[in-house]
Amino acid sequence: MEKLKRTQLYQVHVDEGATMVDFGGWNMPVQYPTGIVAEHLYTRHFCSLFDVSHMGRLIIEGPEMVPFLQHVLTSNVEALDLDKAQYCIIPDEDGSAVDDAYLYRYSEDRYLLVVNASNTDKDLEHLNKIVKDYDCTITNITADWGSIAVQGPKSKDLLLVLTGGEALTEPMKNALGVHDFEGHKAYVAKTGYTGEPIGYEVFVKSEDIAWLWYRLEELGARPAGLGARDTLRLEAGMPLYGHEMGEDPDGNPMPVFSVPLARFAVSFSDRKGDFVGRAALEKQSAVFKEIMNRDYSHIDVLPRRILPIALLDRGVIRAHMEVFRNGEKIGWVTSGTMVPYYKAEGEGLETVITDEVVKRSIGMAYISSDLLEDDIIEVDVRGRRLKAVVVEKHLDALAPPFARPLIYGHELAKREESGESRLNKAINLLQRAEENHIWRQQNCINLIPSENTPSKAVTMLCASDPAFRYAEHKKVKSFYDKDIFYYQGTKFIDDVEQLLVEEMKQYFGCTEVETRVISGQMSNMCAFSALMDWKNRLDRKNTPKRLGYVLNNHIIKGGHLSAQPMGALHDYVAIDPVTERAAVVNFPVCKDNLFKIDVEETKKVIEEYKPELIIFGKSMVLHKEPVAEIRKFVDEMGLNTTIMYDMAHVLGLIGDYFQKPFEEGAEIVTGSTHKTFFGPQRGVVAVNYKEEDLKYGLWKAIETRAFPGSVSNHHLGTQLGLLMAAYEMNTFKDAYQKAIITNAKSFAKSLKAAGLNVCGDPAIDYTETHQVIVSVGYGEGADIAARLERNNIIVNYQATPEEEGFTASGALRMGMSEMTRFGFGPAEFDKLAQLMADVILRDKDVSQDVAKLRGEFTEMKYCFDDKAFDEALGHFAGKIGF
Amino acid sequence: MNYPTELKYSKTHEWLTMDGDVAVIGISDFAQDALGDVVFINLPEVGDDVFAGEPFGDVESVKAVSDLVSPVTGTVCAINEVLLDAPEALNEDCYEAWIIKVEGVTQTEDLLDATEYEEFCATEE
Repeated sequence: MEKLKRTQLYQVHVDEGATMVDFGGWNMPVQYPTGIVAEHLYTRHFCSLFDVSHMGRLIIEGPEMVPFLQHVLTSNVEALDLDKAQYCIIPDEDGSAVDDAYLYRYSEDRYLLVVNASNTDKDLEHLNKIVKDYDCTITNITADWGSIAVQGPKSKDLLLVLTGGEALTEPMKNALGVHDFEGHKAYVAKTGYTGEPIGYEVFVKSEDIAWLWYRLEELGARPAGLGARDTLRLEAGMPLYGHEMGEDPDGNPMPVFSVPLARFAVSFSDRKGDFVGRAALEKQSAVFKEIMNRDYSHIDVLPRRILPIALLDRGVIRAHMEVFRNGEKIGWVTSGTMVPYYKAEGEGLETVITDEVVKRSIGMAYISSDLLEDDIIEVDVRGRRLKAVVVEKHLDALAPPFARPLIYGHELAKREESGESRLNKAINLLQRAEENHIWRQQNCINLIPSENTPSKAVTMLCASDPAFRYAEHKKVKSFYDKDIFYYQGTKFIDDVEQLLVEEMKQYFGCTEVETRVISGQMSNMCAFSALMDWKNRLDRKNTPKRLGYVLNNHIIKGGHLSAQPMGALHDYVAIDPVTERAAVVNFPVCKDNLFKIDVEETKKVIEEYKPELIIFGKSMVLHKEPVAEIRKFVDEMGLNTTIMYDMAHVLGLIGDYFQKPFEEGAEIVTGSTHKTFFGPQRGVVAVNYKEEDLKYGLWKAIETRAFPGSVSNHHLGTQLGLLMAAYEMNTFKDAYQKAIITNAKSFAKSLKAAGLNVCGDPAIDYTETHQVIVSVGYGEGADIAARLERNNIIVNYQATPEEEGFTASGALRMGMSEMTRFGFGPAEFDKLAQLMADVILRDKDVSQDVAKLRGEFTEMKYCFDDKAFDEALGHFAGKIGF
Repeated sequence: MNYPTELKYSKTHEWLTMDGDVAVIGISDFAQDALGDVVFINLPEVGDDVFAGEPFGDVESVKAVSDLVSPVTGTVCAINEVLLDAPEALNEDCYEAWIIKVEGVTQTEDLLDATEYEEFCATEE
């Protein structure tokens, strides 16, 4: 009998009392004395360790390593950036899978391919046949390097102890990092097989692996065996070769596209040439798309798919059990068992994970491709037909730091219909609106950086007559580009818009301003649309080319949602055919200050990608944008780039105390008129092109993409209000801007003195903008923001540049604009800092103190208060019925 | 491993005790330890007949299913409903967590006492 192989941690498992079993020829722990259920739960709740050293670790290197890997893997290897990993499949010519695997790119001169332990020998035989034709080598380093999976919400905290606080990887999945763990070299990957959003795989030299295991146990991690590894990956819907891939129970090869992950693992990029299995996979892919469209005409190519199922009757479903629909056999269960989870209570962000353990009977099945979510099927469980249902997924990992079980049949609470008359509902609405208005305007201290309160004059103008009218207008060449209006009764608003454009030109110090866009996001869409339109102006006979490359701030680093491919950029950005992703590259940030752009690294990125469009601007912002330095560099390089600054948040700070975008070299400035600027909620697009410039044509495109491109009705009420706001801004901006910046720095220092953790550079008093950011603990942001709201302090919860997403938010984002407008100075912000510390650090109830403080500051500053103005305003209010 | 001396044991790892004329049946410490975390149990219904040496239900762990073999022939007069929702009770205290009670016992398998059973288990390892 062949002796079983042992990993570098074999003795550790035995010493820790593990039950050892044969897994693919390896002597592995299936569970420890804790048991599979406890090990599964501890992973979801804290952090577990899995010995994954039995998996095959192969190094591929050499001049032709990329063509080789493109040929033998299904993924687009050229789309894999440095310090990233990708899931892939090793295909066979017939379109089935030899194995599934993960490819890691830690350096530019080699790749690490990790394969399943049970398939390592088979994979090497397959790959070695092919590598002969390529100038590259495959080296099996399985014996020299071991691997531990560290998975669970606390895994990051534990590993950060070993790096001494240095960030392990970028926050997104599949990111890599190389570290020194207390003197031991460690290759870290944010990857895993448990479905946990926070989890890592660590590769260390064999002689270091026992040290790592024990050290992590010291820090609170617990060992988990293959039993829990299987229940966790099943809950996460991840395939296991030999069950969801490979051969079905009849011995027939399973097509690669029967596994849902194939959509992401398989690429048909030209860069891959005629890779192994391409023809068969292309056929499967085409039929897969048909099936997704509920077109089953070629279902024989892909007759069965892997679908998650939940048992509805009492029992347990297991691999190989037959599945039936209406009495007809349609396939088999591929994996199944009883899986434990912690019950959750509450909804949305208020969901609380309790200590109560519940079990559910779930599985995955290889069954008819025409099944849809909620379809009922039957499973033969040792002679009895038990009812089961097809579900979407068993687990979701998009609300870090926890993986959340999705229980079939769970329904959100429904709003109860009161049955009252509409008249009563209308009266009730007025009462509730009044309460809300008073609360927000008189009791709350409003620190949301994107918000402000406009003056009474602005607000009332917004509600007066032009508010419900139309005034579409367009320049007509025959009339020397004079605007022609399509509606009657528009003389007043025509004049207002012309005056508004003049005021805004003076404010910006630029040549042209478009004021018809009605939001910041729309102003960006208008700019992107214009850029694309102008780019294609000499070729209207073909489908317009999209924009690419675009250089922006990544949303995790505080970049605007608007400037991301999922935001306003969505329909205007090209796909890079090599990477098969949006042609977007991000501003690098300083290693010692993640809130600040690294100008030198940015220059390298610009040299490499030669972006067509550079978008400055952030929603989480503590620093000025380096517009001047980048303008200088772009001009020196002679690049044909458009520099745009989306000043959404900081539009009201244009001036001596912050930045003057056009003087620094920006060509297009977009923004919201209602954050630091005094306006109602609208947008604006400004340019500095002169009529004789080539790019003046781009300005003309901006005009037409505003109307008729983005609006028909451009909301005349708020446009009128915006003119008043522009008068206010141009009159009071110097005093206002100075006060905001002073308050921001002062507030930041007060918060620090009160014992809070303020983000940013202390050398510049933490901030150069209207924003202050405070760190309150990973994952605590939403709770603390809710607690502050109960105390009448309104702030944003915010994910810092190191955090995965908003549900993991560990910080608060605050802006000074609104309270500065109501007259807060450093003394008031200091009082506020004390109150906030009481709430955040000592969980005190200060709601009354806050209301009292706010109550003393309800009169707006930085607006006209001359007697003559007040009289005119009073007259206006009376006449329009307010 | 714990094998109370007042109980009898079968070679398929069930325990039995007589409560008057009623046989009370469960699984031994060896069985629950070998099973690991019990996640599900399939029980007969009250009134069902059971037969000595034949399976009367099964118990499921995360990884496997195991038959429960009756040491007696008779009629089920009670099932431990606690186990339906909390099968892990078998791991927590297998002698407290009886599984079925049988009346009208006509036949009993050859059973071992605690010492003989302990020796038997040693050979099973």
